[in-house]
Amino acid sequence: MDLILHGAQPLHWALGGAAIAAVTLALLFIGNRRLGVSTGFEDVCGLVLSTPYFHRPGSSAGRAWRLPFLVGLVAGGFLSAILGGGWSLTWDLGAYGAALGFGQVGTLVWMFAGGVLIGFGTRLAGGCTSGHGIFGLSNFEWPSLVTTLSFMGGGVVATQVLHRLVLR
Amino acid sequence: MTALYLLLGTAFGYVLSRSGAADYGFVQGMFLFEEFQLYGIIGTAVLLTAPGLWWLRRRGRTVFGAPLAIEAKPFHRGNIVGGVLFGFGWSITGMCPGPIFVNLGEGKVYALAALAGALVGAATFGSLYRMLQRLFGLPPLAQGTGEG
Repeated sequence: MDLILHGAQPLHWALGGAAIAAVTLALLFIGNRRLGVSTGFEDVCGLVLSTPYFHRPGSSAGRAWRLPFLVGLVAGGFLSAILGGGWSLTWDLGAYGAALGFGQVGTLVWMFAGGVLIGFGTRLAGGCTSGHGIFGLSNFEWPSLVTTLSFMGGGVVATQVLHRLVLR
Repeated sequence: MTALYLLLGTAFGYVLSRSGAADYGFVQGMFLFEEFQLYGIIGTAVLLTAPGLWWLRRRGRTVFGAPLAIEAKPFHRGNIVGGVLFGFGWSITGMCPGPIFVNLGEGKVYALAALAGALVGAATFGSLYRMLQRLFGLPPLAQGTGEG
């Protein structure tokens, strides 16, 4: 399978995994921070909302590293597009674009609905693929194992159902 | 230090973009058990991070000599329910939180809708925290569900 972006060949999984491990360990060794992206949603919420939850002491301390890290994630995607053959706005969903078949407005509604589940679910679970799946599992934290099995299970069930109903 | 976090984020984002983790097709392929790629990535990342973490914990200090502080995530019913809901969202959008930002950088317009949804979802969670706390046995508000 090729990437949607430029139809490029993906990096070998071992190389990708090793690079992610290097970033995770560097973040802890240099910055004394445990990797975790989904708390970044709270950080962004805290910039505009006065809700007490987004202004508890622990969360504002993490903002100083996580907000630049999030900007970096966007920059990394941008750089990848530039170096891979040029950046342009796209609606491309690869082989699934036609299968979804919602049109542009439908696709936005679909993505928004999924996004709500991601934002609410990751914060209720206290983390996502990075915080629980990579850092938590590597640190042998059993709540992270339970969470990882839950989101992988949820993803498998949802995808299997969707492929029978929507993405045919 | 801000520059360092920006740099680490950029490296992480670049790798997610190039490896298929921010790709709709690879995410569907993973959940359909048709593509090994993303299992290989997560597996390798855990396999290599674990011994590094073990060594860092034994050393107990960062490169600058500060005592290592790793906040543990508490267990509660939200781990399971939130995890399943997130799994649904990951399947629908083809993105977990990191790749939402990466896809945005790549120029994929629909990632903007996923990000807007995620922010609304997180804002809803934070606003309902006291109610959800009773329902799922979450930690006190001052602590929250943890960084991650």
